[in-house]
Amino acid sequence: MVWRNLPYLAEGFAVTLETSALVILGGTALGLLLGIVRSGRVASLRHAAWLYIELIRGTPLLVVLFIVYFAVPPLIGHRFTAYEAAVIGFIAFIGAYIAEDVRSGLASVPRGQVEAGLANGLSPRQVLWLVVLPQAVRRMIPALFNQFVRLVKFTSVASAIGVTELTGATLAVNAREFKPLPLLIALALAYFVAGYGLSLVGRWLNRRYAIAG
Amino acid sequence: MMGKWAAAAAVLLMTMLSVAAGSARADSAIDAIKARGKLLAGVKYDTPPFGYLDDKNEVVGFDVDLMREIAKAMGVGIELVKVTSPTRIPLLVSGNVDIVAASMTHTREREGAIDFSITYYTGAQALMVPASSPIKGLGDLADKTVAVQQGTTLEKTLAKLAPQAKVQSFRDYTTAWLALRQGRADAFTGSYDILRGFAREAQGFHIVGDKFSVEPFGIGIRHGDWQMRNLVNAVLQDLWTSGRYQQIYHQWFQVDPDIPIETWPKG
Amino acid sequence: MSYQFDWGVLWRYREALAEGFALTLALSLLGLLGALALGIVAGTAGAGGRRAARGFAGTYVEVARNVPLLVHMYFWYLGLTALRLPAFWCGVLALAIYSGAYVAEIVRAGIQSVPQGQTAAALASGLSPRQALVHVIYPQALRIVAPSLAGLLSQLIKDSSLASVISVGELTFAAGAIEGETFRTFEAYIGVSLLYLVTVTAISQLTLRTLSGRAVDPEMRY
Repeated sequence: MVWRNLPYLAEGFAVTLETSALVILGGTALGLLLGIVRSGRVASLRHAAWLYIELIRGTPLLVVLFIVYFAVPPLIGHRFTAYEAAVIGFIAFIGAYIAEDVRSGLASVPRGQVEAGLANGLSPRQVLWLVVLPQAVRRMIPALFNQFVRLVKFTSVASAIGVTELTGATLAVNAREFKPLPLLIALALAYFVAGYGLSLVGRWLNRRYAIAG
Repeated sequence: MMGKWAAAAAVLLMTMLSVAAGSARADSAIDAIKARGKLLAGVKYDTPPFGYLDDKNEVVGFDVDLMREIAKAMGVGIELVKVTSPTRIPLLVSGNVDIVAASMTHTREREGAIDFSITYYTGAQALMVPASSPIKGLGDLADKTVAVQQGTTLEKTLAKLAPQAKVQSFRDYTTAWLALRQGRADAFTGSYDILRGFAREAQGFHIVGDKFSVEPFGIGIRHGDWQMRNLVNAVLQDLWTSGRYQQIYHQWFQVDPDIPIETWPKG
Repeated sequence: MSYQFDWGVLWRYREALAEGFALTLALSLLGLLGALALGIVAGTAGAGGRRAARGFAGTYVEVARNVPLLVHMYFWYLGLTALRLPAFWCGVLALAIYSGAYVAEIVRAGIQSVPQGQTAAALASGLSPRQALVHVIYPQALRIVAPSLAGLLSQLIKDSSLASVISVGELTFAAGAIEGETFRTFEAYIGVSLLYLVTVTAISQLTLRTLSGRAVDPEMRY
């Protein structure tokens, strides 16, 4: 039974992995942007970023997806496919959480580094890019990978707006074949492999690049 | 403090949405379809025999075939979009689909949200039980658990006709059906042909008792889009007069339609 | 978008919403209790001396954490068909086991950060290992990790919305019922998400106020 449905399930798994990859990239980018703005000097931008972050963190993921898929298209006059809406929604969602990790990461770089950079004639922007960020990112690796692993799990929620990712595909097959136990165990296993694998990568990166102390 | 900001932002969001909704587009879905060259039709992927995945994991069904006919009549291609109960209306209203055929019962309450075509299928409600069950009809449902899709006329009708039954609602047909198969429910009520469609998927379930209540299905169209509604109505009527509708009906339900599609003279 | 909003539908269905909200709270609170119980046990085992216990705890944490909550829910509801647990308890179990893994990690880290000397001193004072754990280690460990746990209830309330997929009649499910009858998807789901937002905010504010003076993160993330 599993063999017969394997192509369909594999396709679902591919969608899950592809979505995760896209969102990891986009979410990190957004998170970096928001985190930097949150720690920045322009007060109005700081408040705007804060508002966005707090709103998203108070909202269930499912609702964020719904908003992106249903509420946004009429406002901007362009429709998203379910997949596009899911990717955008996930990026918008995880970006807010990564932003907070970025903010703490930036704050954890010793003040002395910033002062040394400025004393050496670097502009504040150069200090950010050349001195603070590299160190901050290395400290953030565990927190970032924590978010990435969360994200792989969250992709299952995309099935609620009709994206045929792994969970949706498995449930559809179960609706027809009705062999829930083996299907669900396989499903759990697939996510476990993906998530645990990702966290192992994170741990390896952390060992290699972490700053002591 | 944060609460105040969040509340303010939420009110802002609601206002935005209301404004966006209020500025009703004067143009019909027909313009978008013609410009795009294809019809975006929302159908269910999990409700046999109206819209479901066959063995080759392709979506087929009565609703699907009707949608294809409409696209053909308009001279455009078709793209089938999967809808579920929570997404069918937002997809239609947000413009992600042009029309929705998702085994939707036309009710007056629902007319507040969308427009419906003329009735394209009249179903009846029925009861399905495992073959070994002692339940033979509505009268045997005292203290039995009956699974049904939430928020439907089916739910209300069953509660009225079998007041001693324990009605348990589920978020869609599929989960209600699964509840019956798992033994979580003693019986399953829904539209007769949908029940039959599910019964075909598994051994050991059958429909008992008489059919009851009337479930007229309509195709969902955005509010105020009279051009689209007129077009869909016209296509449905032409399908009836040409006999094509009866063909499709027979293919999916194995019987001839007993209630004709109302036809109006061209004028 | 030609759609006329009718927010009155939320008032007309207030009873359904109230019932759904009550179930959301019940799910979240029971899930919280379960998560705390599981987490403290697993966290203690993970920080303990016995390798087998550490192994079990570690496996539990990794497996439970890496599987999506949605799959947890389906597992108890669909997978273990023979058990036929009521959907509500499937939801509670899923929430407890999933969140419990996170709590376990926090508790483990907390216990391990209590200085070794404390245990030694406690045992030297004549306390049994168990008494040392309960009266000396736990209080200190929990004080260290309290901020991290502060966001647990908020997170559970948001996560409980997933129980709607296994047809637990909580708030999100209630929104679905309203939607089914009226087709007013927007009003139903926006209204319900506002309710979540208000609830989660209120709880965060309460936790902030109770644990003020510490670096509290009211939104637990895992």
